[in-house]
Amino acid sequence: MNIVVLVKSAVDEAELRADPSGHPVLKGAAVKMSNFDMNGVEEAVKQKEANGGTVIVVTLGGADAKKAIKEAMAMGGTRAVHILAEPPAAPDSLATAYCLAQAVKRIGDVDLVVCSEGASDTYQGEVGAMVAEFLDMPFIAYARKVATANGKVRCEQGLRGAVRVLEAKLPAVVSVVSEANVPRYPTLLQVMAAGKKPIEEIPVASLNGPDYPETGTEVIDITIQPADRKKLLFDGTPEEAAKKLVDALKQEAVL
Amino acid sequence: MKLFGAEQERVLGSLYGAEAAEAYGSLLRSLSVVLEEKVSPLSLALDQGKGEIKVPRRVLFDQGVCRLPHAGEFGGMGVSFGVYALAMELAGAADASTAMSFGIHNTVAEAVATFGSAEQKGRLLSALLSGKKLAAFALTEPTSGSDARSMHTTASRDGKNYVIDGSKMFITNAGEADLYLVFAATGKGHGAFLVEGTNPGLKVGRALKEKLGMRGSHTAEVRLVKCLVAEDSLLGKEGTGFDQAKRLLDSSRIVMGMICIGIARAAYVKALAYAKGRELFGRKLSDMQITREKVANAAIETSAARLLCMHAARLKDVGKPYSSEAAQGKVFAAEMAVRTCDAAVQLLGGYGYTSDDVHRHLRDARLLTIGEGTSEVLRMLIASQELERER
Repeated sequence: MNIVVLVKSAVDEAELRADPSGHPVLKGAAVKMSNFDMNGVEEAVKQKEANGGTVIVVTLGGADAKKAIKEAMAMGGTRAVHILAEPPAAPDSLATAYCLAQAVKRIGDVDLVVCSEGASDTYQGEVGAMVAEFLDMPFIAYARKVATANGKVRCEQGLRGAVRVLEAKLPAVVSVVSEANVPRYPTLLQVMAAGKKPIEEIPVASLNGPDYPETGTEVIDITIQPADRKKLLFDGTPEEAAKKLVDALKQEAVL
Repeated sequence: MKLFGAEQERVLGSLYGAEAAEAYGSLLRSLSVVLEEKVSPLSLALDQGKGEIKVPRRVLFDQGVCRLPHAGEFGGMGVSFGVYALAMELAGAADASTAMSFGIHNTVAEAVATFGSAEQKGRLLSALLSGKKLAAFALTEPTSGSDARSMHTTASRDGKNYVIDGSKMFITNAGEADLYLVFAATGKGHGAFLVEGTNPGLKVGRALKEKLGMRGSHTAEVRLVKCLVAEDSLLGKEGTGFDQAKRLLDSSRIVMGMICIGIARAAYVKALAYAKGRELFGRKLSDMQITREKVANAAIETSAARLLCMHAARLKDVGKPYSSEAAQGKVFAAEMAVRTCDAAVQLLGGYGYTSDDVHRHLRDARLLTIGEGTSEVLRMLIASQELERER
């Protein structure tokens, strides 16, 4: 089974700093594989382990996207395709999906494309569906359970108070949610071996066919929303204060 | 707390080159994520005696940290000792007790890898590197720690066997270990013996639970009573045991120094977070000059300690003598950790004094000016090497 997993090199939000105007300092910001993509990679590797075959990691990004590729390879990716696009040439979601789909076509003979529900930095959640459209493949979104058999993929979606089971013919594109699995931690030996796995580089311009979509969206501004501490004080006896604290935590959906 | 960051990556780059920094940076970054998620959260409970050290130690084994500095033949990864040393800094920051227990275990693995026969390596190394077997290093005695050469434990020949008699004190991993590296005086000097934990002649005494720090690790006396071991339990040649111990301790001191740096950082990060949030006299504590001096000193001292220890690691990696450098690194790092953790307690004031999640770092650090060579005995070693050099 040939499985493609789409990953994104996302800004590491734990390391993100704001400038005095409240704008994130994106230049030189630390990047890593998008948190949600760990579930995507885990699912792809699980499918490979169950059915045999290969997991091809596909990403679009600058040179620093190598880090995300290596993380995915350490988790069990077989090889990778890196569509090189340095900012400011980095395309928007639609053009990204177009390029990823072109890369999947080049790989050829792909049975399953796995992605995550969205990126941990921008969380637009559009690319998976767009890739499916460009590839003319069925798309199942937000899968929390994935099983493949007899040329079909069967997925379970958790809806509010209900479970929906969907089936599609392979090849298909599936996006998984974080409930789908628990991503594995690669051992140091696997991290070392990941550095030696093959990575094919494709310049983004080489995928620029006549049907290359026009940039549909433009980022006007990004500001960081500060999460100030509330500094609430609860008075009364210790029992009363504790009750008020528990109520407040419930109100904030912490408990 | 992010255990691996630019400060360690830069040291790796400056000592081992940009290529190594990139390759091993990703290795250490990956390890730090696992330690942050699986080991750090267990650390406070371990100090409080509520957890089992085998759980976080298993994380280190499963990650393959033990394999890092060993050759590939028995499952090692053949990575520079400096990379392993940095991994141990991360482990020390995640949990000091686990890191120390693990570091000492790996010193025994290094003993087998360096001095062991082909048969001993084949029999033990793979199990030691995977953590299937846990090891303890039994050198110190109730009346001889710093003056190890004066040990009273003896090993006498009895046909094709040796009989070991004596007592070893303050032994980390005692009671848990499957294998003990026991040093004893023989007729021809000293010998190091690999003694199975199941040997009926090896008896583990009362666990030393009233320790100031490192409360997660197991420490006890180990008694050897007519302990019969086969002659192939001897590591290397009879008479070379003391030199083996010295070499192993040189290596282990780098690791213990790196653990100290991890401990200091764990305390310092907590103090820094507090200083950024705490307000007094209408200003943040972190904006006060007197606080900034403490912050700057902690940054200077942790960096200096790391550079000293990593310099020793680099010398070890290129096969040059590093005994004095390892001792310098360990003395400086241990004393630095005590100073930095003490400053962290001071910065947190009443909260630092009353919270075991803060003062435990100071208590943990305090061991390492004593264990693995006291600061005093290491200064004697450094001074004699300096005087020798200038002769």
